[in-house]
Amino acid sequence: MGLSLLNMLSWWQWAILAAVPPAIVALYFLKLKRRPLEVPSTYLWRRSIEDLHVNAIWQRLRRNLLLFLQLLLVLLVILALVRPGWRGEELTGNRFVFLLDNSASMQATDVEPSRLEDAKRRVGELIDQMDPGDSAMVISFADTARVEQGFTYDRHALHRAVDAIEPTARGTSLLDALKVASGLANPGRSAYEASDTQVAEAMPATLYIMSDGNFEHVTGFSLGNLSPIYVPIGQDDSPNVAILAFNVRGHETREGQLQAFARLENFGSQPVRATADLRLDDRLIDATEVAIPAGEVQGVVFDVGAIDSGVLKLEIRIDDRLKVDNSAWVAVNPPRQANVLLVTPGNEPLQFGLSTELAAKLAKVTVESPGFLKKKQYTTDTDGGAYDLVIYDRCRPEKMPQANTLWIGVVPPLEDWSAGKKVDVPTIMDTDPAHPLMQWIVMDNVLVFEGTPLTVPPGGTTLIDTNAGAMLAIAPREGFEDAVLGFLLVEQVGADTFTRTNWPIRPSFPMFVLNVLNYLGGGPEVLAQGSVRPGQVVPLENASSEKAISVVTPGGESTSLAAYRPGKFSFKGTDELGVYEVQAGGKTVQRFAVNLFDPMESKLPPRKKFDVGPVEIEGRSGWEVVRREMWRGLLLMGLGVLCLEWYIYGRRVSF
Amino acid sequence: MTTASTLLSPELLARLEKMELVSRKIFRGRMKGERRSRRKGQSVEFADFRNYVPGDDLRFIDWNTYARLDRLFLKLFIEEEDLHFYALLDASASMDFGDPTKLQYAKQLAAALGFIGLVRGDRVKIETLGRPSRDVFRGRRSLWRMLGHIDEIQPDETVPLAEGVKNFCLRNSGKGIVVLITDLMDKSGYEPALRYLLAQQMDVYVVHVLSAEEIEPEMQGDLRLVDCEDADVAEITVSGALIKRYKETLTAFVESAREFCGRRGMSYLLARNEVPLDELITDYLARRGLVR
Repeated sequence: MGLSLLNMLSWWQWAILAAVPPAIVALYFLKLKRRPLEVPSTYLWRRSIEDLHVNAIWQRLRRNLLLFLQLLLVLLVILALVRPGWRGEELTGNRFVFLLDNSASMQATDVEPSRLEDAKRRVGELIDQMDPGDSAMVISFADTARVEQGFTYDRHALHRAVDAIEPTARGTSLLDALKVASGLANPGRSAYEASDTQVAEAMPATLYIMSDGNFEHVTGFSLGNLSPIYVPIGQDDSPNVAILAFNVRGHETREGQLQAFARLENFGSQPVRATADLRLDDRLIDATEVAIPAGEVQGVVFDVGAIDSGVLKLEIRIDDRLKVDNSAWVAVNPPRQANVLLVTPGNEPLQFGLSTELAAKLAKVTVESPGFLKKKQYTTDTDGGAYDLVIYDRCRPEKMPQANTLWIGVVPPLEDWSAGKKVDVPTIMDTDPAHPLMQWIVMDNVLVFEGTPLTVPPGGTTLIDTNAGAMLAIAPREGFEDAVLGFLLVEQVGADTFTRTNWPIRPSFPMFVLNVLNYLGGGPEVLAQGSVRPGQVVPLENASSEKAISVVTPGGESTSLAAYRPGKFSFKGTDELGVYEVQAGGKTVQRFAVNLFDPMESKLPPRKKFDVGPVEIEGRSGWEVVRREMWRGLLLMGLGVLCLEWYIYGRRVSF
Repeated sequence: MTTASTLLSPELLARLEKMELVSRKIFRGRMKGERRSRRKGQSVEFADFRNYVPGDDLRFIDWNTYARLDRLFLKLFIEEEDLHFYALLDASASMDFGDPTKLQYAKQLAAALGFIGLVRGDRVKIETLGRPSRDVFRGRRSLWRMLGHIDEIQPDETVPLAEGVKNFCLRNSGKGIVVLITDLMDKSGYEPALRYLLAQQMDVYVVHVLSAEEIEPEMQGDLRLVDCEDADVAEITVSGALIKRYKETLTAFVESAREFCGRRGMSYLLARNEVPLDELITDYLARRGLVR
């Protein structure tokens, strides 16, 4: 606790104010100059005022009591003018960085009106306490940090910046904010790498972190000249039930029907019963009551039936402290086939694999001969992004297409890719089952008669490794991926066709073809697009090679997107929770849902402490910066003194 | 004539001539005067008889009774004596206030009473507290001398009331009437002074002279009151309440003096300087029994 004063006056106003007490004293002595009058005797007068002489000290005081009261009054007014107030916490230092967490959990209402508003209030109070010459900056952070106001002495600007901070539905990451904050405190070096040399004078700052602490420990960061003060915001006992997952899958047994799965977790300390409503395009189609024990997860399954497209919304009706995690959406898009171009002189096993019933559902395959590569049609189609996947079998175009590719027996016309000498009967040593292309694929019984080991570009992944080297590898290229198979499936010698591996007759081959269509052909997006997290950038594709598409947010705002490459778009404004519609040519072509699904955010009790690098930052529990203004009380006291003065003056006159 | 006319107007003199001083006690004078005395003596008024004893003046034997009873009786007559009248004036600086000043008023009163005494053949003595006087006035012819003596009194004495009265009592041990004319404004109190007079067994009259300014003070503002005698200072801020309180104090002062005198057989008279002298004498003093 300490007394704080705010200087409200300029120096000349102070000078005038300082002149008031001497003026009062001077006026008082002027007033005291009594007119002398000779009387026969003061005998009776003395006896008349005799009782006032009973106490000599009181008499002396009384003589100047009015003066003292007037001085006291002026003193009280001056005191009131400097706006004294008690405050709970001293601002230390003279440079401050205010970090305000505006992630989803800060929308919790366990403190009135919400955690974010409470944090803003606290920062506002801290700004009020800044002395002239103190500078501060305001940073809001969720999963990324944003400088709301750079270092300034202007308290009004700081207040405006704080007031402008809006809640988001994003997750939380402190690291980004710390990097921004450390820019001035630890100049010329990245504070998170201790080896960097410092080039400019360090400007130490006090870092106020207003957060509920619902983020991961920060590693690999050194605070340097930042002195952190963590103010945990929120209450420990805050009931909350959250939807942590919501998805749609095909029905296990019934063909063509969908099932919706949700995972609910009770983060509170009491068991709850919640009602979960499922709506399809705002129409209630199912509801169920779920009992969730404290701290446990409960799954919910709904039979949705056969739907082609639409928006499913799951809502749990319960009175908890955080509302944003009580709703979840999933967008069921109309099925879309991948466009696949196969350029081959003839490859019966592959063509057979591509023509299976399942493959036909996933993709529309166009087969062309290598001569097609020379045609203008090919250039237009591949540059315009007409195909999702192009498979080059024993032929090579001059430049890479705007599509994912699979190369068989050839390497792409790129510097990074190269093939070695032919090797006879390479032995398959290893596969990468974690990669989507290699899922469910067993290569133990596959023989390869001849192959060329591949040099994989940086960033690439070897999927099939042999004793001679990589035989199947995949590498990213400007938003696409190129997969290269180092051995031939079939070889044309003259009029005869020879098989170069026994893979096509193994069950793993059609699986591989399906994986290729699913993964490289963009298959997974077809049914229900995976959920997008708030703030995440969404890559969008539109094969109809439109120059521009627009995205309509759940709030109804429309944003036009220009293609950064033909048919390729990226959308950043996913701050709002709900379903976004992608429109092209006035028609909705795709939908995606943005959901919180973040247990970190839904877990409301604020963290008591967290680590930044090697430093453990403990929260100042019970930290309150309420400034108790005293000037009203002082003015009231002044009024009382004034009344007392009047009373005494009246009494004095009536003596 | 100037002195006489300033102190006593001819009209007043004419009225005073018919009056006489009255003593509630019968005193023994030193000279034969116009006063009845307790002593039997030579006057025309018969008092009593007593048996003759040898040596008595044969002129006072009542021969008619001797003829009837054959015994000698002596006729006794009431003796008439003169009266000692003292006027004791307070001539301190505090008496020099008012219009007319309290001292002037006191002088007039002393002159008037002295005149009455002179006319009746009484022994008149005018003194101030601080200045003893040996002048004794007797008979009408002494009037001018007495007035001259009174006229010389100036308000410049600084003797405290008690000391002045004490000195007076030491000088004048005889009996008679004493009229003390003062404002009683003595910070050490008037009671010791009056006790001295009481011890003299004189017929004491206290004429308390106050000016109109003292009775109804008309002052305003913040004042520093300076005592004209001892330069004592009292700072006051005049207000209605203060004036009221002052009047209460004054009334209490006057009443206490009146009571003090009354309990001890002294006559007390409050005289305001604005009351005309003839009214004071013919009305107030006559009512008190000093004159008739």
